[in-house]
Amino acid sequence: MEFLEVVGSRRSIRWFKTWEKVPRDKIQRILEVVRLTTCPGNLQPWRAIVVERDALDKETRDGLLGADNWQGAHTQAPVWIYWYADPSVTRPESFQERTVELTDVGALPPAYGWSKEMIEAAIQRGEVVQAGGPAINELIHGMPAEVGAAVAYAETVGACACACLAAVNEGLGTCLHMIAAPSKQDRVKELLGVPEHVLPVWVQLVGYPAEDPEAGGQRPRFPFETLFFEKSWGQPFPRDEEVVSQLTKERLLQEPMPKPGRFDELKFLSRMYGYPE
Amino acid sequence: MTFETRPDMYSSVQHWMEVVTARHGLSEQDWEERLMVLWSYCHSLGKDPDTIIQEALDERDSKLDYMRHLRQWSNDQALGLHTTHEMQNVVRSFFINNGARVLTKPYPDVYGGGGS
Repeated sequence: MEFLEVVGSRRSIRWFKTWEKVPRDKIQRILEVVRLTTCPGNLQPWRAIVVERDALDKETRDGLLGADNWQGAHTQAPVWIYWYADPSVTRPESFQERTVELTDVGALPPAYGWSKEMIEAAIQRGEVVQAGGPAINELIHGMPAEVGAAVAYAETVGACACACLAAVNEGLGTCLHMIAAPSKQDRVKELLGVPEHVLPVWVQLVGYPAEDPEAGGQRPRFPFETLFFEKSWGQPFPRDEEVVSQLTKERLLQEPMPKPGRFDELKFLSRMYGYPE
Repeated sequence: MTFETRPDMYSSVQHWMEVVTARHGLSEQDWEERLMVLWSYCHSLGKDPDTIIQEALDERDSKLDYMRHLRQWSNDQALGLHTTHEMQNVVRSFFINNGARVLTKPYPDVYGGGGS
């Protein structure tokens, strides 16, 4: 699939073919995409535990499903990818190590003032970075742990968005769920052997859609002009209808919800799996 | 407890029927069957539908008690797994569409590793 069609075709799929296995290579391909996703300082805080529902013992399976309140999509999806963020890799010393590595390989140009010495001085001693470079002395030197945790979490959320697009590119359905209600996160960590310091992000449900892959159409979005501005906040970036027309042809923009027949589809899916209408 | 003649004389039942019909267009036959199940459930409790829903909305513990009673009552009918599940879903639908969210699980073989 072309990139724009992947983005336009992504839906939060909530009905899965519970009987159809997901080939292992497709899961790896999703993980490989995430591995190359952008993040500041190349910190890569994302971690994932891939779980095949049907390979679990009953206690673990029911524990994981119960933690997510037995949400229907979770019971149906044959693969669950638990995404966590590791805040230990967003500490100043990790920033230092990763940015020195980027400097060594030529990603951070000396022309902009990057050097091992500059990085050490800024991060370890808080020395002011000269004009032309990022103010890593202010951001990273003495960075509180909670700020580092927020960075780890935010970057992993972004990685999950890429993971969803990767799944769509593989012809799969996918959806992000809360891993667990806050009161049950520890239980999930216990079941999956996750270290205490690691932050829960999302569980990505993966499988072949039981609903139409268009899932009733594209979800409502705020108007373009209310989101994107030009020159200053609140001054709308004008939306060119010519571009909209082109993007419709390229399938970034698709038919909005609800497409005809959507509620009938939901009725019959409910009946198929034994849910109330 | 004095009951009205028919369950659809109660506002909670009327609301349930309106919402579900607008969404899914169920037939008269479908509704007759559903109303029979709900009526039977209400009589087993000795409470009318409006009272049940109001208590479920007012008090989480009441709602949980009603769901426990639903499981017991439906199992006591001894009608087989599938029919029992369907009966429970009728009552759950009544609760859900009146704003009282209840836990719902699919047929057990959906997530039990069924299929070859």
